[in-house]
Amino acid sequence: MGTNKKYWKGFEELQQTPEFLEKAQSEFPQELSVDEFLADDKVSEASTGRRDFLKFLGFSVAAATLAACEAPVIKAVPYVVKPEDVTPGVANWYASTFYDGANYASILVKSREGRPIHIKGNKDWGFTNGAVNPQIAASVLGLYNSARLDAPQTKDGTQVSWADADTAIASALKKAGNKKIVLISGTEISPSTQNAIVGFKAKYGGVDMPSMDMPAVEEAVVVEGEDVPTDAPAMPEMPEGNVIHVQYDAVSYNGIREANLESFGQRAIPDYDFSQAKVIVAVSCDFLNSWVLPTQFVGQYAQRRNPDGKWMSQHFQFETNMSQTGSNADYRGLIKPSQQGAALAYIHKGVGAGSVSGVDTASLDADTIEKLDLAIEALKAAKGKSLVVAGSNRKSAQVIANSINAHLNNYSGPINMNNPIMLHASQDEKMANAIKEMNGGKVAAVIMWNTNPVYTLANGEEFRTALANVGTSVSMSQYADETAVNCDYICPESHSLESWNDYAPKARTYALAQPTIRPLGDTRPVGESFLVWSGEAVHTGKDSTTWHNYVKGLWEQYGYPLQTKHASFNAYWNAMVHQSCDSGEGEPAASSQSFSGNLSAAGKDLGSITGGDFEVALYQKAGIGNGTHANNPWLQEMPDTVTKVTWDNYATMAYADIEAMGGETGLGQETPSTEVTVTVGDKTLTLPAYPQAGQAPGTIGIAVGYGRGAGAENIGKGAYQQSGMYGEASTTPIGQNAYVLVDNGDFDAYSASVSNTGNTYNLACTQTHSTVMARNSIVKETTLDTYTTAEPAAYNHKHVLHSGWNHDEKPVSEFDLWEGHPVEHVGHRWGMTIDLSSCIGCGSCLVACQSENNVPVVGKDEIRRGREMHWLRIDRYYSSDVEVAVGTRDPEEFATEGFSGLKKPSHNPKVVHMPMMCHHCNHAPCETVCPVAATTHSNEGLNQMAYNRCIGTRYCGNNCPYKVRRFNWFNYPSYRKFTEVNPAQDDLGRMVLNPDVVVRTRGVMEKCSMCVQRIQSGKLVAKKDDRMVKDGDVVTACADVCPTNAITVGDWNDETSAVRKSSEDKRSYQALEEIGVKPNIWYKVKVRNEVNADLAELQAEQAAHSASHGGDHGDEHGEEGHEEGGHDEAGHDDHGGH
Amino acid sequence: MHKEAAIREPLILGHKTYSDITEDVCRPIEGKAPKAWYIMFGISLLVGLYGIGCILYLLGTGIGTWGLNKTVEWAWDITNFVWWVGIGHAGTLISAVLLLFRQRWRMAINRSAEAMTIFAVFMAGLFPLIHMGRLWVGYWVMPIPNQFGSLWVNFNSPLLWDVFAISTYLSVSVVFWYIGLIPDFATIRDRAKGAVSKKMYGILSFGWSGRAKHWNRFELVSLVLAGLATPLVFSVHSIVSFDFATSVIPGWHTTIFPPYFVAGAVFSGFAMVQTLLLILRKGMKLEAYIHTKHVEYMNIVIMVTGSIVGVAYLTELFISWYSGVEYESYAFINRATGPYWWAYASMMTCNVISPQLMWFKKLRRSLLFTFFISIVVNIGMWFERFVIIVTSIHQDYLPSSWSMFYPTWVDIGVFLGTLGIFFAFYLGFARYFPVLAMSELKTILKISGESYKDGSAPTHDDHGGGGDSHTETAPVVEEKVAETVAPVVEEVAPAVEEKVEEVKAKLTDEEKSQRVSSLMEKLGAGDASNADDLKVISGVGPKMESTLNEIGIYSYEQVSKMTDNEYEMLDSITESFPGRAKRDDWAGQAKELMNK
Repeated sequence: MGTNKKYWKGFEELQQTPEFLEKAQSEFPQELSVDEFLADDKVSEASTGRRDFLKFLGFSVAAATLAACEAPVIKAVPYVVKPEDVTPGVANWYASTFYDGANYASILVKSREGRPIHIKGNKDWGFTNGAVNPQIAASVLGLYNSARLDAPQTKDGTQVSWADADTAIASALKKAGNKKIVLISGTEISPSTQNAIVGFKAKYGGVDMPSMDMPAVEEAVVVEGEDVPTDAPAMPEMPEGNVIHVQYDAVSYNGIREANLESFGQRAIPDYDFSQAKVIVAVSCDFLNSWVLPTQFVGQYAQRRNPDGKWMSQHFQFETNMSQTGSNADYRGLIKPSQQGAALAYIHKGVGAGSVSGVDTASLDADTIEKLDLAIEALKAAKGKSLVVAGSNRKSAQVIANSINAHLNNYSGPINMNNPIMLHASQDEKMANAIKEMNGGKVAAVIMWNTNPVYTLANGEEFRTALANVGTSVSMSQYADETAVNCDYICPESHSLESWNDYAPKARTYALAQPTIRPLGDTRPVGESFLVWSGEAVHTGKDSTTWHNYVKGLWEQYGYPLQTKHASFNAYWNAMVHQSCDSGEGEPAASSQSFSGNLSAAGKDLGSITGGDFEVALYQKAGIGNGTHANNPWLQEMPDTVTKVTWDNYATMAYADIEAMGGETGLGQETPSTEVTVTVGDKTLTLPAYPQAGQAPGTIGIAVGYGRGAGAENIGKGAYQQSGMYGEASTTPIGQNAYVLVDNGDFDAYSASVSNTGNTYNLACTQTHSTVMARNSIVKETTLDTYTTAEPAAYNHKHVLHSGWNHDEKPVSEFDLWEGHPVEHVGHRWGMTIDLSSCIGCGSCLVACQSENNVPVVGKDEIRRGREMHWLRIDRYYSSDVEVAVGTRDPEEFATEGFSGLKKPSHNPKVVHMPMMCHHCNHAPCETVCPVAATTHSNEGLNQMAYNRCIGTRYCGNNCPYKVRRFNWFNYPSYRKFTEVNPAQDDLGRMVLNPDVVVRTRGVMEKCSMCVQRIQSGKLVAKKDDRMVKDGDVVTACADVCPTNAITVGDWNDETSAVRKSSEDKRSYQALEEIGVKPNIWYKVKVRNEVNADLAELQAEQAAHSASHGGDHGDEHGEEGHEEGGHDEAGHDDHGGH
Repeated sequence: MHKEAAIREPLILGHKTYSDITEDVCRPIEGKAPKAWYIMFGISLLVGLYGIGCILYLLGTGIGTWGLNKTVEWAWDITNFVWWVGIGHAGTLISAVLLLFRQRWRMAINRSAEAMTIFAVFMAGLFPLIHMGRLWVGYWVMPIPNQFGSLWVNFNSPLLWDVFAISTYLSVSVVFWYIGLIPDFATIRDRAKGAVSKKMYGILSFGWSGRAKHWNRFELVSLVLAGLATPLVFSVHSIVSFDFATSVIPGWHTTIFPPYFVAGAVFSGFAMVQTLLLILRKGMKLEAYIHTKHVEYMNIVIMVTGSIVGVAYLTELFISWYSGVEYESYAFINRATGPYWWAYASMMTCNVISPQLMWFKKLRRSLLFTFFISIVVNIGMWFERFVIIVTSIHQDYLPSSWSMFYPTWVDIGVFLGTLGIFFAFYLGFARYFPVLAMSELKTILKISGESYKDGSAPTHDDHGGGGDSHTETAPVVEEKVAETVAPVVEEVAPAVEEKVEEVKAKLTDEEKSQRVSSLMEKLGAGDASNADDLKVISGVGPKMESTLNEIGIYSYEQVSKMTDNEYEMLDSITESFPGRAKRDDWAGQAKELMNK
């Protein structure tokens, strides 16, 4: 219709007049000659009127003014050619492997628009089962450290091209002649790199030998059964010729390898399976944090710490410092470093393996003996299902531990000698020899990577001079660190997220690391450098595929034939890249070992140790570890698991010891700690003394990994203290280097002295109060026995209120002051449960949250003022002498000690770690008080912050009972005080920001959003699949990264969801339930596998009490108010203790 | 006209006339300010400017320049806010509540108390503004329509109620104060000599002409505003207390807060009035209008409200124990024995013990003691707010978050700055505004003026507001007042009522000479050299003539100026022939004689 209709613009068109036709012909109806126009006199004669002039003037001024106001230009550069696998706004996850010389884990790297921004564990593949630690989670930030070298450089800092550097190094190597070439690295577990080194040795060592990669491993496995003492099975010592490869780790495990060599004929660290151990006895062994392979142990341990599982393990810890592992033990005894042998010998004798001659067990105190006896009983009852682990690097201590384990037949269960762990292959003696040869001028060239001996050696200075005596020194460090600056050339290796690599963490396990970003600088992998230097390949710039092809080639040559699953190499390779590791099939099972160690020699060695007045036990912190990541501000700012101190190391000492010196035992923003000098031999450190509950008296604990960059080496802003009012960067390192105190390899000093300097030092603590003040609606704990036998009322008391004239008891949940949010039964209601039994307080969640949610780093000074910005914190509570367990008051003690007793932690307290973040209360106190409604409740139960709307009255923060709201006191993204510490300051650092989460401005509140961005994307995934949201669609960063799976997240309204079930568990409770804020977070009662008579008695009373009072509960109490209807505060609680 | 019992102490001492009141109040405005004023004003201004500097630094850098932290997110800011709002309570209480209760003693103090209120509320209002993290979007607390780009406010929030309460209170107070000022500004305008000041006061007085209609409207508006302001006195601090009372924090969550905060506010407000007035009356020589009785009345208010506050403190303690709630009890144990025990102890000492001393009449009539206690009370009330705010939140539910608050130099600077600005404002007020409500005072002169009470003044005055002709003699009056009245007041102060009578009897000679001089002021000075023959006047004999000459009356002109008032005064001086002069109309005779 209408197609025949004709429209015209006017009669001319309708009538088709000639004039019209003529006009229609020409596109521009009038010729306008510019020349003609300008030539017209009238134009020049025309004058602008005054009013017009003023109008023009006004307009121009206004326009100029407006134009002068510079609007920020934000450039969004689109892809010209869209990469195949990048969809803007959608994250890519790459499976990879993390290994930094000490920590190992299978990881997933989150990449947005080509930028890696987040690291979490790979739950699907790899023996680490998705577990990571804070160092691994935070390592993504290291990629964007602007201090990383982006090209080779010479000693004086001049950048040179790779070609020049390679030529110079190759010619130096060729001139080596009879002199040696020394390679020093951390434990190198990359088969491809090892293979490249083999080629390098062939080229320069004058030794022609076959490629020794995976076949070597195969041989080792074959050799294993025979009684031939060999070195590490994967890497038997090879004839080295002129090229010597020394593996040297900052933290040595030489002792355990030597002991196993003596005891079982293998110089190896066996594989431990903590999930098979019903009884774990650890002697100074921090296996949940730093010992051997915590990323594996943590998950195994947590699996058996669940009181709802088939069985729950029992954990005894005998140690000096309050370690992360010790804080989770069921029983914890205090020993001095010199008593490790005594404790082991006592156990040795106790379990019936005979006494160890020469070791004096009399020095152990009564409390420790009591716990040792309990441990022995437990061990005897769990033969073949127990584990005795010792953290000492003394061969003798490890021999005794081996003997105990062998006696208990644990080698056929939890300990597997047949699948040894390949990490920590430090060769202490070889390193000492190498240094001697270097100093003796017998070394032509030294090449180092993944090691920092100048910093980590007790006598780093000696190594520094040794380097000067070497013909040519080359470091492949990413940074111009303490060792690298002393080298003739620094040939920076790529970050592990920038390059291919492969690893053999265990004898039969292989893993791949794949790059997730093009190298930011002109760097190359270590293996590629070796290939270039041995003339096997050429480096072709940033996008060189040399190393990739080499790794792939080796996997085709050696890896592919090992398996039968994949029909083609491509399928195999793709599967390996996808999984990042093989599935661990075919790992040999554990088998019993016959112990052949020399006990009397061990006893003699241990007996020779005499403790001094003070002894020093070094340890590694969860965040800083051995110091490799000391320049990572996320880790520096992560509160220590136990002490809650940030940005420092310190001397942990028992309260009594500090008091005896006249030192300060308090903690606070303005309560400076006492500075002490710790002297071991001729080495002295000056450190603040931290009062540590559970520290063995007469001992001092000092964390290694601090004092990096003492020579003002540029290793990144995060490694240095800030100075001045505006926090300018300084070259003062953070903390002191504790490696200098004891000889390499040893972590204990048996004789030390300590004195009060009279000076003070401010430590930045995020938690200054130690105990929970027996407040039993915050932390609840019970014993396994009570848990399995008693009613839930015994250990999980529910608060009730009395209502009406008859004082009817009603649960708190039935009282509403406000109209309820309709979220409780409609749509989604996001909830979370946190199992206090599983949480070990490692802090991975905290770092993951920081990474996911762009939480700013604020630096030491601000932390000290109590202004940390972490959305998630882990509260650590010690028990006091007035409590029978954390959070349960001892009525008798309280009658005499009162509140002042409650404030003091016990000498050897029980510990609870309690993750704390926004509780997303359905009756949120914060929401009602915001004058501008900037914080509101979503219809999915989330308490949300509209940053744009916030005017910053901080009323919500004050009214939050959990104190989880964080205020932007300054403009963290740009105020100069924070530019030095906040990684999100410089252009490079900003790359780590998660584009899904806005960076908050100054003056607004922020807090945990329950990763609302992840919730939204999880919902989208379900929607695209046209299904309901199910478990696993929505996982918060903290839950995602938790190595012990303590956190469960999901839709509470989904009655089948894991979180719903978990929240309805008999162990579940809500913190501060009685104030009626109705949080969406539940905690689960911590269950200790211990005998605690006092607690059991109190909880039995509690159960009886609640059973006997059903309806007429009110009779006993004269004081409760008559509560009619809405009353949501705690009118009266009827819990125990009154 | 109301009659006031004679045994009540007069509210206006000395033989003040309407004119005297005008003179006394206008003198400081019209004259030059004393050096002391400049010094005080200069210091206040400097401190105020320092405070403004601190505020600018705060706004430029962030709230982090204060000593707040993740646990204590309010400290000095809100302490100062509540403190200043509390101080701002006295003015409206005095002007509105006392007006409705017909307390006449308020007349002398209401003007300056209201001024103090307004300045204090300014200072108070400053803190909620600068304590915001993002002041530049602070207008979002106003219920602005959505078209403006804003969202609706949250009416659940007590902070929002604060906005309404404070702004209402401020506006009503300002209007009330200004309405009262209008007739007085008109008086100053009429007296002003300089063109600028005439213009300025002309504008300020809104064309007031003193017509009956104006007065009628004035009275009506005052009454209406008093009615409006009265509930505000109770609502403002009740609402401020809701900031805390509606929260879930132990130590904040308390139903006792509204009455307790109001009493505390009146308590601190009156203390501040005392502090300021005791300085003002001395500096501006207003001892005749603001004297011991006023101070005593205010001290009684301080004593009563202080006792209410004390009872509230004890109630809180009892309830915290009685509730059986662990957190609640600990909050109060912590207040008294925790790290901030000194703040709690200061609060208890200053607010509970010190006002109880006012039970002693001797103490509550002592000006020096009052001045001291008034400062102590305000220190105590500052600590009360600090204790409530900081000690409640610094150790609340989760011990993991317990922390301390330490002020920074910016915290201190901002607080001192508001004191500086406040005093600068107040000194400016004292310099350029009528510090006493002249028109109101005049209404009680004849009810409660001393000379009217003891019958030494005539019951009516035909001088009207003819003050202008007496400007020259004014300083003389002032001197006399200062000489005679002030010592009386000061000596009377510590004495008991009976003694007052004795003192008065003893001083008749002085009284006499004072009356002579005041008579002479009216009649003008005479001189023996050009003396007229007064005996010509019928009723004046030789003895009377010499008596008059003794007094200083020599001429017909002087006698002609005599009115009933002077006759009475003359009678009281000569103590003879009462009523004779009036009967014989000496003045009329003298006028005739002059014209001859």
